[in-house]
Amino acid sequence: MDPLFTIISIILILPISLVLGVLYSFLIRKLNARFQWRVGPIIRMYSDLSPVIGSTRIWQPLYDILKLMGKDTVIPGSAHKKLFVYSPYMSLIFSILAIFFIPFPGMPLLSEIPYSLIIASYLIIASIMFTILGPVASGSPWGAIGARREAELFLVAELGFVVSLFSVAIAKNSLSIWTLASNMESLPAILLTLVAGTTMFVAMLGKLHIKPFDMPEAECEIVAGPYTEYSGKLLGTYFLSKVFILYAMVSLFIAIFLPPFSSGFIWLPLYAVAAVLLIFLLAVVQVLNPRYLIRKALLWYLKIVVPLAILSLIVAFAFVLGWMVV
Amino acid sequence: MKYSADAGLVDYVRQELVPEGLDFNALRENRIAVKINAADAVTIADRFVNKYKARLIHETAVDLEGSGFEMVYIYDFSMLKERLVVVLEAKIPKENPSIASIANITWSASWAEREIHDLLGINPIGTPDPRKQFLPYEWPNATESGTAPAQPEKGEKGVKDMWIPLGIAPKDSYATLIPIGPYHPGVIEGQTVYVKVEGETVVSADIKTGYHHRGIQKLIERRGYHKGVFAAERVCGICSPHHGLTYVTACENLYEAEIPDRALYIRSLLLELNRIHSHLLWIGVVADVIGWKTGFHLTWGLRERVMDIIEAITGNRVNYGIWRIGGVSRDVSQELAEKALKTVVPLKAEMAALLPLVAAHSVVQSRLINVGPLSQAEAFDGGAVGPVARASNWKIDVRADNSPHAMYDPKKINWQVITDDHNDTFGRTLVRVKELLVSSDIVAQCLEYLVKNAGEVINEPKMIPVNSEGIGLNEAPRGELVHYVRASEYNNNLPQAYRIRTPSYRNNAVIPKMLVGANLADVPVVMGSTDQCLACTDRVEIINEKDGSVSSMTWDQLLAMSRRAKVIR
Amino acid sequence: MSAHIKILRQVLSKYSSPMTLNYPSGVNPDKKYSQIPEGLRGFIERDKEKCIGCRACYMVCSGRATKYFDVGDKRTIQVFHFRCTYCAHCEEGCPEEAIKMTKNFELTVTDRNDPKAYVNTELDMLTCKNCGKVFTPVKLEKRAFERLSDKINPRVKDVVIADFKKGEGYCMDCRRSRGVMMDAHTKKHVWLEVV
Repeated sequence: MDPLFTIISIILILPISLVLGVLYSFLIRKLNARFQWRVGPIIRMYSDLSPVIGSTRIWQPLYDILKLMGKDTVIPGSAHKKLFVYSPYMSLIFSILAIFFIPFPGMPLLSEIPYSLIIASYLIIASIMFTILGPVASGSPWGAIGARREAELFLVAELGFVVSLFSVAIAKNSLSIWTLASNMESLPAILLTLVAGTTMFVAMLGKLHIKPFDMPEAECEIVAGPYTEYSGKLLGTYFLSKVFILYAMVSLFIAIFLPPFSSGFIWLPLYAVAAVLLIFLLAVVQVLNPRYLIRKALLWYLKIVVPLAILSLIVAFAFVLGWMVV
Repeated sequence: MKYSADAGLVDYVRQELVPEGLDFNALRENRIAVKINAADAVTIADRFVNKYKARLIHETAVDLEGSGFEMVYIYDFSMLKERLVVVLEAKIPKENPSIASIANITWSASWAEREIHDLLGINPIGTPDPRKQFLPYEWPNATESGTAPAQPEKGEKGVKDMWIPLGIAPKDSYATLIPIGPYHPGVIEGQTVYVKVEGETVVSADIKTGYHHRGIQKLIERRGYHKGVFAAERVCGICSPHHGLTYVTACENLYEAEIPDRALYIRSLLLELNRIHSHLLWIGVVADVIGWKTGFHLTWGLRERVMDIIEAITGNRVNYGIWRIGGVSRDVSQELAEKALKTVVPLKAEMAALLPLVAAHSVVQSRLINVGPLSQAEAFDGGAVGPVARASNWKIDVRADNSPHAMYDPKKINWQVITDDHNDTFGRTLVRVKELLVSSDIVAQCLEYLVKNAGEVINEPKMIPVNSEGIGLNEAPRGELVHYVRASEYNNNLPQAYRIRTPSYRNNAVIPKMLVGANLADVPVVMGSTDQCLACTDRVEIINEKDGSVSSMTWDQLLAMSRRAKVIR
Repeated sequence: MSAHIKILRQVLSKYSSPMTLNYPSGVNPDKKYSQIPEGLRGFIERDKEKCIGCRACYMVCSGRATKYFDVGDKRTIQVFHFRCTYCAHCEEGCPEEAIKMTKNFELTVTDRNDPKAYVNTELDMLTCKNCGKVFTPVKLEKRAFERLSDKINPRVKDVVIADFKKGEGYCMDCRRSRGVMMDAHTKKHVWLEVV
């Protein structure tokens, strides 16, 4: 496509992804609150309070981050200073880079280039890697335990994540996300979408720390886990990168498993519906479950996700080899 | 209702239980005080615990100012004779005060002896656990007598479990020391649990409390019986009426109390409403500790309705302030009772629908079953009380065998003691869930009585006599609660000594046993499973080791100190 | 899994009606403080007309929130709400029923000395005719006389009242020391029999 359009869309996608990421986290929070018999962030503020607070609280996740940006940053004396300070920024940079490789309706961005699937998944991994590296450098035992849990969870969740993506890629014989997202002719069997989509959804729970897989952030057990020693701007940066990762995961899911929705601009309404449904599912899972022990979670992943991943690979190969007709 | 005493009990105690006794004094309601020699304390304890299977309720010491200390041992004999409690009193001199430890006979004395050593300087000779409890481990011993328990040296051999925190010996280097607290999100109130972990498995643990020692006992000793009720209520926010009522029971135990029936029913009503709200709160907290915010909000949503009933009946949400010596200060009108009955009955149905679901949830089960095991023998030896003991299949409930001055008469109110044989955190959950339903039954029966009957709610208290002792026993939501009041020798309005033994005090002593072998992630769950109830403090003190001076830090200084961390390195 | 579904049903049952109440309107949006029950014990309200300054509230106050100051010829009885435990001991102990617990409970001030936190009752005091000492509130003297005069044995009532009138306006010390000069019957316990 036109390089000028690509540059313009890259500039445009930054605010779009920020707004959507904030909206997604707002939606998770709101739904959680209503499921828990609470009110949650208020969509339309009461008339007597709106002059003081503002007319809406939809942007509450963003306000939380902005508040952190204005706070003092404390760097513990025991930390490895460089790694401690640069890790949040690296995490943010990699999550933003990942967004450039995931299409949005009407904007292919950089996803047209071959191998963009591999690049995008590696960039997401890199972003998560730096949420492990920073805490390790902080010198806090809670940070270390949190980072260890994050690493264990990440290793297992990664399996489902990568296998589900690549089984679709195998079936469609392409590693470019744009091809996978817009190619409706070689729409894979509905079975593959179901199996691989479920695997991806479960992997997403681990990557986004949705309960029952939020052990790295289990505040009752390990204070704030990886973020124990972080404060102020550095913590805000981590939260910002989490918002971008949430957007990236949701849009990647739609691009790979609900093919036409991310291709043309006309698909935007359906894209929105799919995103809201996905967020709704995440919120329901989040509400219904307590946190697993890390050991039990790993066993659960081995029991459920590994068979699912193998199944989706088998389905993909069956599709390629022509055992299965569309 | 008037509480009577059995006249022949003194002779029984003199001949059967304590032949060594020097002086026997029959208190009210089958409580017998016996003066003994300090040297006989161990043999008597051995006979009581091993032969009669009596339970040590509390061990404490009273400072008699001029004439030395007096050790007080309170034993529960309610399984032999109805409401029989034996109080042993042994005088010891002020110089080099020491007493032979009975913690080898019953482990439940160990915490009390550590406390007495820390606060009064009385050395328990031959104690198996000489660590400091309230003071820092490194604190020098207050008394310089030769019998003081020796502090283990750094790296000393043969003291495997007596490790000094913050200075792990080289032989312990395989383990990591993790201090949980004093301020930690999983622990609601300030306390430190020093957990030694190997990987994520707990090797050993010790609890240090005393972060909010507010001196309430001393406060009540200075304030008089009638004002003391409100100070006693403020020991704890969650079970405040239980503390207030236990104190009132202890004071009524000092004289020939006669309490109107209607007051007894109102007392039972509020105690059980409080138990419902406390257990719902506990289920919410455990749900929160295992990361289930929804369970937390659902149970606390139900709890809020109980709080509304309590607020309408008493006028306050937390510290009800309607207990008076001799009755209660407020009557529950018939309309209010009917209205409350209309809320309680559907509430019970909702609890019966929701709470079993919590227990049936697969992930909840995976977090609770076989976590924090405690066998019946361990529970008996460690002196566990309340739901912790009942979940180890030990049928112990003060309401049944030594009830406070409230209506728990099985002839008038239909209720039963809940036990469970899971012996773990899941069992404790089940016990509490079932107790909630039993409690709401009691509440409904009390309300029905209040609707149908009328009457006085308070009798004017008589003059409280001098030279008497009163013991209040009560089943708080967390377990057996004990208040011990000793009337002054000359003043009709001031107690000479006042002691509280809270249920968490006992259950904290068994937590280290439950923690060994647990996963680090289970530590808050196990600690939460006993429903600890400590209290709060409000300022930071810096103690200068060199000259012993104490200074408080201001907010600005603390802020400056935390900001200085940026400059380091 | 079935537990999951049942819990989901529980969770959804209150989706449209959260437990959270609005503040301060409560359950009923039109009425302020509708969530507050009738019998709530809030701030202490003192009736200045009824109060006689006997200090009974000061004696029974369990939180030491009630204090009194005798300055000049005024007695000030002060309740400090930060210390108040809302136990209603003073309400029960007041002989004149001058103290009431109200339903008002909002005490948010940034300064301890904010007048909102204090309830002051000022009373005039009597000055001794002889030594000039300020000794007791005017109302207390009057009310005590009224209350006692009902209970005096009618046989000696006139004598007692006459005696009282003689000593009126003198402080306790002066009454005691000038008893002979006043020609009062000092052995009151002989005839102060309660009817």
